[in-house]
Amino acid sequence: MKIYSVAEVTGYLRELLEADSLLTDLWVSGEVSNLSESAAGHLYFTLKEEASQLRCVLFHRARLALTLENGMAVVAHGRISIYEVSGTLQFYVDLVQPEGMGILHLEFERLKAKLVEEGLFEPARKRALPPFPQRIGVVTSPDSAVLHDIINIIGRRYPLVELVLSPTPVQGDGAVAGIVQAFDALNDTEGIDLVILARGGGSLEELQAFNEEKVARAIYASRAPVISGVGHDTDFTIADFVADKRAPTPSAAAELAVPHRVELEGRLQSHSRALVAALSRELERYRQRIDELTRVATMHLGNFLTISREKLRGRELKLSSLSPLATLGRGYALVQHSATGEVISHIDQVHRGDAIEVKVSDGQFKSRVTGLKKGLQAWMNSFPSKKR
Amino acid sequence: MDEQLSFEEALNRLEKITQTLEEGGLKLEEAIALFEEGVGLAKICNERLNAAELKISQLQTPFEQGLESKDESP
Repeated sequence: MKIYSVAEVTGYLRELLEADSLLTDLWVSGEVSNLSESAAGHLYFTLKEEASQLRCVLFHRARLALTLENGMAVVAHGRISIYEVSGTLQFYVDLVQPEGMGILHLEFERLKAKLVEEGLFEPARKRALPPFPQRIGVVTSPDSAVLHDIINIIGRRYPLVELVLSPTPVQGDGAVAGIVQAFDALNDTEGIDLVILARGGGSLEELQAFNEEKVARAIYASRAPVISGVGHDTDFTIADFVADKRAPTPSAAAELAVPHRVELEGRLQSHSRALVAALSRELERYRQRIDELTRVATMHLGNFLTISREKLRGRELKLSSLSPLATLGRGYALVQHSATGEVISHIDQVHRGDAIEVKVSDGQFKSRVTGLKKGLQAWMNSFPSKKR
Repeated sequence: MDEQLSFEEALNRLEKITQTLEEGGLKLEEAIALFEEGVGLAKICNERLNAAELKISQLQTPFEQGLESKDESP
């Protein structure tokens, strides 16, 4: 025998309690009483049932939307341990639900809250589905109507893919492990770019595997994005919340997974039409450019000819104005020495008796110098005075 | 067209070509070459859609192995 200290006893009790698998994860139903809130925001209350009660604490960070009130019938989840300072047994509550829910529903809400907290449902974390997947992994039960539907729908819509079936039971014992293994197998397969996780409709119990934490984590860890198609439109499972995309049914999951060939054919057709229209426009543009260039070239050539013609005419005029013929026409004459052909413009060039030739506008005649008078005045006086 | 091109790559290339042609301003030879490539791509895409047959393969998971061994037993 030995004497223990108080701390040794409370410490031992704590170890014992915290090693117990039931006491570390349990649901307890009862009525809320003695509810109080500490300055730090922690809630203290007791769960009681006739002559029994359990001290409870709900730490601030675990508090949920549900507002607790004395007398409320609830089901609380948490762990049992000992508060060594006072030596009292306490129920450390992390989740409170109103009474009346079945255990599966309670577990669903608890897991959902936990995974929300961990960020597994974060919209920012959702991966985009590939628009044209090439290898689609299918996690579902082999030889099921669900699988046949998926094969039919994808084969009809977009037969360019390869479906890689990763078979697993989807309900009962082994479903959780099977789904996890099916994801493992797909993660080890090259080139899987999308995974469909599917199961037909069923009761909450039958869909239970899709509400299990291990399955949620397998979906989260999948290398390829995951589409869930579990149950009917109205069923929401934890798997749906974790999946990158939730489809209301397995068939809808298959439809979401691939594009529709009718839509693709339409796209191809509109592209073909657009190509023809665009090329026609280009050709028309070139045709117009050629027309325009031709027009400009013709215009320039016309201008050039007009200008040339005008230039030519200008030269002709100038030439005719310079011609001595015009001067001769006005009554002047060109006088040359008959002997030398020298043009006579000064009186000193001639002497009495010289033979000269006189050219007028329409002919010429020979003449002889018979007299000379020097000086401009003598020349001017020789003009007969005009009588007016 | 490159036979190795996936359907998605072919469709993306076709979209790019259509866009480039629609923007215009190309040399005539370029426009015609792009047009021919685009028409070829559309044809190949259509042929692929029409000729494709869904491929299905199955992985060996522990569950499936279990089923098979059951099948083998009398």
